[in-house]
Amino acid sequence: MLKAARRKWAVFRSDDRLIVIAMAGLVGACSGLAAVALNRSLHFMGTALHTFHHHWWGVVLPAVGATLSAIFLNVLLKERAGHGVPEVVYAVSRYGGLLRFRSSYSRLVSSCLTIGSGGSAGPEAPVVISGAALGSNIAKFFSLKERQRITLVGCGAAGAIASIFNAPITGLVFTVEVILGEWRSFNIIPIAIAAVAGTEVSRLLQGNQIVFPRQHYTIGLPDIAASFGVVIVATVVSVVLGRMLKGMHGVAMRTHIPPLVRPAVGGLAVGLLGIYLPFVLGEGYLSVQQMIQGTFSQGLLLAILVMAAKMLATALTLGWGGSGGIFAPSLMIGSLVGLVYHRFLSWIMPTAILSNEGCFALLGMAGLLSGMLQAPLTGIFLVVEITGGYDVILPLIIVSALTSTFCYYIEPASYYLRDLIERGQFLRPGTDARVLSDLAVRELVKEVPTLLRGDMLLREFLTILEQSKEHLFPVVDPHSGAYQGMIFVDRIRPFLFDRQMYGVLMIEQLMESNVPTVAPDDELSEVLSLMEHEDLEALPVVENRRFVGLLSKSTLLDHYRKELIVQAGN
Amino acid sequence: MTERLLHVFQNTPLGRESLLQSLHFCKTLGVDLHIYVPESKQFLMYFDHDMVQVDLNRSYLLSPESAVDHARQLADLFDVHVTFLVPKNYTAAQLPDIPTHYTYMCCPQSISDLSAKIGLGYVGPKVWRIAKSSTFPVFMTGRVYKPWTSITVCYTGSNNANKALRWGLHLGHNSGMPVELFTFMERHNAAYFDEQLRQAGLWDELGDRVSAWHKIDRGSFEEAFYAVGHDTLLVLGAYSHGLIKVLLFGSKTEKIQAWMPNSMLLVGPHCAVEV
Repeated sequence: MLKAARRKWAVFRSDDRLIVIAMAGLVGACSGLAAVALNRSLHFMGTALHTFHHHWWGVVLPAVGATLSAIFLNVLLKERAGHGVPEVVYAVSRYGGLLRFRSSYSRLVSSCLTIGSGGSAGPEAPVVISGAALGSNIAKFFSLKERQRITLVGCGAAGAIASIFNAPITGLVFTVEVILGEWRSFNIIPIAIAAVAGTEVSRLLQGNQIVFPRQHYTIGLPDIAASFGVVIVATVVSVVLGRMLKGMHGVAMRTHIPPLVRPAVGGLAVGLLGIYLPFVLGEGYLSVQQMIQGTFSQGLLLAILVMAAKMLATALTLGWGGSGGIFAPSLMIGSLVGLVYHRFLSWIMPTAILSNEGCFALLGMAGLLSGMLQAPLTGIFLVVEITGGYDVILPLIIVSALTSTFCYYIEPASYYLRDLIERGQFLRPGTDARVLSDLAVRELVKEVPTLLRGDMLLREFLTILEQSKEHLFPVVDPHSGAYQGMIFVDRIRPFLFDRQMYGVLMIEQLMESNVPTVAPDDELSEVLSLMEHEDLEALPVVENRRFVGLLSKSTLLDHYRKELIVQAGN
Repeated sequence: MTERLLHVFQNTPLGRESLLQSLHFCKTLGVDLHIYVPESKQFLMYFDHDMVQVDLNRSYLLSPESAVDHARQLADLFDVHVTFLVPKNYTAAQLPDIPTHYTYMCCPQSISDLSAKIGLGYVGPKVWRIAKSSTFPVFMTGRVYKPWTSITVCYTGSNNANKALRWGLHLGHNSGMPVELFTFMERHNAAYFDEQLRQAGLWDELGDRVSAWHKIDRGSFEEAFYAVGHDTLLVLGAYSHGLIKVLLFGSKTEKIQAWMPNSMLLVGPHCAVEV
């Protein structure tokens, strides 16, 4: 009986899809739990600290929270700060989704301290890395293959996003669009299951409530026409916010303030802003709700001021080392974009028949999110799911699609991926760069059976050539083993047919010593570029001046194809 | 391809002793030396199925401006060519990813304060994880440089011990040094170990390549180790006991490391070598 059970388990394990689908539910539920824990903790901290923000000394609360967060992350856990999503994408791109176990809880605690104390950031990026790390470590525990592990990392991210926003489709779409970057049934089915599991955990523990109560909007042609204006404003604000975040990070890094104190500086500045404009503190969901309901009572100029202050507060919080994500600030800034645009239109065209400003707040949210993430589907589905605003789906699609496109032309990399792209570490599965990054020169190098000596006569070489199929021969020093140059049979052909030269010419006179060499640790993408630039079919691999072997284009192509098949999962 | 040893350099007198031992290792075995001078207190190593974050203590970051010169001066004494490793990839923009495709890695004895328990050189969780995940054996240096003149394999009859024996024979072949076997017969008799060697296909190798086999069946585990030479490189398989057993009785490898002043080569389950 035990044997039969083992056989069944072996069959189950051998099917890549079945085991991933089974694990997906577990990963989704665990990441959903992590998201609920963060959500409840933030709620608790928000309630507990709310009254303190009204005191004069409440200004230091964000600084204290950010400092505690930095101490927890950098001193206690020795994990470097960051908003998490790029780390997950990096792990998926380069290391088959391997993530540290400590990442499954570190950002939950640190972001709780940062956001709960008033920092302007969102809880989504922390839950994404927590969920992804849970998925990665569960895959590691069950010794799953690399491709299965990547899918479970995606399942963790999907479960977490689905749980924190009570939005399963957003969890699925965000994971596939941003984290994995490939739409394949192998991924989509388990990720969908994980998203459902995460959502169910959230609904079980917190009730089935959407983040913002549903409103009904009537959309007409003027609204669709006006949505093009939202695209322009959202594009400008997305680009400015992205540059502010990057610029603020640059400023923080250039200062001589110790890394542990930097978040406190950002937090203090946010606290000071919060004295005059309390809207900028925390996630800002209350203000978003008011804007969607059309009850945000501040005037146009104040709304613009709040928008600018929220952008500054977000840049200060995240740029100076606070822990948190960009979703929630994008939602608030986006809703302000829509609201300001609507009020401005109503001011210059009082007779225009437009839907109410809550509808435009939704469009702004979708626009800004799509612009920042350059992920239009995530923007569309998130707004639809968290507001129940299916009425506005048509302008929502227009705004999301166009804003992400325009942002792409101005800033080719999204907020999450910018650093990775700048460092050349953004490698999507199945792409040329990714396939090459998974191969190493040392794996492809071919040993050469015949090494020539420099003092060898051409006659001796001809004897070797007669018995060889090679057309490239390395020349090495027989005593030290040092590499000296290469003989290209094609290039010395005239001498091969000149019998008078057989006893006169030596190999060192015929060899080419200026052929570029590569080292076993060189990146294959660079090696390939070198081959193309020099128009060579093969390059000598040299380590510590010693000849190791030859790397040929045909061997590279052969391994490239095999690796591509592995990555494609065929 | 030439064998390569990765050494994480600590620019202190203790680190100098460790580097001297790595240099001796490389010189004796004809191994290329790759030195990493840490730029931050943490670095990551990504293996096929696991990743390990190594947390170094502050002493690893002392005087970075002189570290390369100090390492090079020592290498010149041994006439060993040194390559300095510069990380190409970073996790979370700040944590260097150290490549894992080496033949050996040196985890030097760190300072003996508590922080060493989460750093290199102590057979604690980190070194265990490196040894268990890597395809290379971990070279653990003694506190003071002492050239070894022979190789002693601690043979316990397990799969990992067979692997360790293969590595011992490999080192013996490359260095030309005599290889000895050491077995403490705690629960099995001599015939058991002979049979294990036959089953592993290593029995025939012993006659030619092993100069002595010390089979100790008396005294305690610690007493038995007096038979091991003072100037020998100890090669042992990573004992793969369960977590509870290790928690209750402690790890044998750690006992050996604490008891023996010799340099050690710890062979993990994924380390394979042709004999």
